[in-house]
Amino acid sequence: MSIIKIENLKKAYEHNFVLKGINLEIAQGQIVGYIGPNGAGKSTTIKILCGITSDFLGEVQVMGMDVRKNAIEVKSKIGYIPELAALYEALTPVEYLKFSGKLYNLDDATIATKTNELLRLFDLQDKANDRMTSYSKGMKQKVLLISGLIHNPEIIFLDEPLSGLDANAVILVKEILAQLKLAGKTIFYSSHIMDVVEKISDRIIIIDKGEVKADGTFEELKNNAHEGSLENIFTSLTGNSEQTLSTAHEFINVLNSK
Amino acid sequence: MDKLILKFILFIVKTFLKKDVDYEKLKIITETKLILDRRRVRVTMKQKNNKEQKNQILVTQIVYCFFGLLIGMVVFANNNLKLSITIIHSYILFMMIMTLITDFSSVLLDTTDNQIILPRPVNSKTFFVSRLVHILVYLLQFTLALGLFPIIFTFIGFGALVGIANIIAIFLTVMIAVFITYLMYGLILKFSNEEKLKDIVSGFQIILTIIFVGGSQILPRFINYAGLDLIKLPIQWYTYFMPPLWMANALESLYTLKANLPHVMMIVMAVVFPIIMFWLMIKFLAPSFAKKMAALGNAGVETKSEQKNAFNNKLPLSEKISPLVCSSNTERAGFEFTWKMTSRDKSFKMQFYPGLAYILVFAFVFIFQSGKNISNTWLNLHNTKSYLGLIYLPLFTVSTAVTLIAFNENFSASWIYLSRPLYKPGTLITGALKTLLVKYLLPISIPLLAFALYIWGYKIIDDFMFGFISNVFLLLVLTHINKSYLPFSMQPNMTQQTGKFVLVMLNFVLIGVLILLHYFATKIWWLPLALIPLPLVGSYFLFRTIQNYGWQKISN
Repeated sequence: MSIIKIENLKKAYEHNFVLKGINLEIAQGQIVGYIGPNGAGKSTTIKILCGITSDFLGEVQVMGMDVRKNAIEVKSKIGYIPELAALYEALTPVEYLKFSGKLYNLDDATIATKTNELLRLFDLQDKANDRMTSYSKGMKQKVLLISGLIHNPEIIFLDEPLSGLDANAVILVKEILAQLKLAGKTIFYSSHIMDVVEKISDRIIIIDKGEVKADGTFEELKNNAHEGSLENIFTSLTGNSEQTLSTAHEFINVLNSK
Repeated sequence: MDKLILKFILFIVKTFLKKDVDYEKLKIITETKLILDRRRVRVTMKQKNNKEQKNQILVTQIVYCFFGLLIGMVVFANNNLKLSITIIHSYILFMMIMTLITDFSSVLLDTTDNQIILPRPVNSKTFFVSRLVHILVYLLQFTLALGLFPIIFTFIGFGALVGIANIIAIFLTVMIAVFITYLMYGLILKFSNEEKLKDIVSGFQIILTIIFVGGSQILPRFINYAGLDLIKLPIQWYTYFMPPLWMANALESLYTLKANLPHVMMIVMAVVFPIIMFWLMIKFLAPSFAKKMAALGNAGVETKSEQKNAFNNKLPLSEKISPLVCSSNTERAGFEFTWKMTSRDKSFKMQFYPGLAYILVFAFVFIFQSGKNISNTWLNLHNTKSYLGLIYLPLFTVSTAVTLIAFNENFSASWIYLSRPLYKPGTLITGALKTLLVKYLLPISIPLLAFALYIWGYKIIDDFMFGFISNVFLLLVLTHINKSYLPFSMQPNMTQQTGKFVLVMLNFVLIGVLILLHYFATKIWWLPLALIPLPLVGSYFLFRTIQNYGWQKISN
């Protein structure tokens, strides 16, 4: 039985369809990489799955629940880590996680122990009581990761989870995702970093202009597209490599002109 | 004005040191800096109309000029040269320090220079001169704004000699102001971290805003005070620590052409001290600052962390109070969050805290209406019903916070509300409202009650009880009839301002009606007490209603 079920999902912003009929079924315990160029509809899909956007066409079920009718139940069982590291920077991470945890109805003691431990594991304990105005993008991303996982959700949705993280943190997050999978959690994430997607995903879905272009394991995609790396498969499906080349050429020409 | 001064200074630079300085680069750098100065959002009344002002700095200077006019009047209000000069120089010294402190990092020590100009091919001499020219233009235009009327009035009141000497003295006072600013900044940096520094600077900005409003109310009353002629200000040991008195004494001996030893000392202090200070500053203070500030601007540099372990510190006040006043986890989250943000968010503090100070100013104006004898009013106070004003004044300010807490620079962080399982987002709003009650309305009302008890005695306690609960009720009414926003979830913009205006008007009407009703109720001694259940029951039901707001009630 699939834990996520999307049937003919369409979404329009002012008569402009960003999703044009997506059909997907995702089984429990998979790590799914959801990739596509900017504006392909990745973030929109994730927001719909998380019950944040309820204004769409088609049927979407998460853990057997309709995300429109049972948005709150869905939200309490999933974790969402959004793309831009937007959080209330005037708070310290401890305060932010307390705020976030209370909205999940966790009690003070649970929040306190988990926050303390998780911040330590992410190497943030020294700055745990500093306001986040002084935080780098990667540090904020770590706080967001904790805030989306602290209630131990069944499905984890991550939008560009690795952006801004340094190399060591990328390895750590990759390892955490693998461990979460072992614990039976389902992970659905979008990313631009192709080699990471290639390595950790059980299944890769490529979308472009609101439509699924490819869907399968990395091996399957490779066999179908006859291209070597995921990056090549990606550009052959979504990009226009000739045009990219000529844009770059023009750019240099302008610089050289007097 | 700034451009004119810049042209003048650039002209001098052009004629004197053309060789090492790249004039075209100097011009473009300083001009750009002046544009930035103009656009920086300033403290003066700017919060009221948030639309982009083309020349923020000019508006501030006009306000300074106006205050200079009021202060300068002191010359004509009495014939006391020493006192007049002391007041004028105190004003200039104080305002200059306040202005410089709030603009410190963008004028006196502009570290963004290092990132923007140093990587470009600009030689160090040009770089240095551009910084100097910028500071000079800045200082000159504020000196002019502050000193224009006082200087004109000294010419008229005390003759050309004193007038000219006063121009020089004002420049010396400005030098002292620059020095003191550096010193104060140094002390703040020494004893706290960057975060605190920002808080302290915004604190100064709030004080400035309060002075603007309070000053225009209180200054005219002060200048008309009859006893000014009698103030003598003899030279005492403490005179040696008060720069405005140096200037006043120096000018006095010039005016009377009499000088004993203390007066000579004063002249020496007035002239030599600023020069020594200035030299010290350029030689030692400024360079060490540049280093410190550059380090602060650098995100990689470790700032002192106060606690090492995340949970070894004791609970903050908001988290101690929240279990006592809140009924659910969600409400506690709203309460604690709003409590912390209202203490830290600069734009909230800038818009709300001056309002708190206005409560005092308006209480003063309300009780001592102009044109009446102050001491007579005071003696007769217990026979009036002015305490009704004291009861309802706090609501004017506290109710503005209802809309203010909806807005924040970090509004995009409000995705968190949408992604968390919240059945009744209204609970967050009641949590935030409880912060406004516990953190602001209650603590403000208590000293006002104490004052009223002192004047009117115990018979007004029931009025205060009825009034306080009515205030709560009105706050809930205003929240309920306005659009409902989750705390700190909206982008600050024009709608915020228009919404505020409607709210303020509504406030006036509602509070006015309430004061009127209360006034009639006091005619029968037991009536205020008997009426208490009315707003109490109303508050309870409104509170429940707001708590049960679903997502469809929340605007975005």
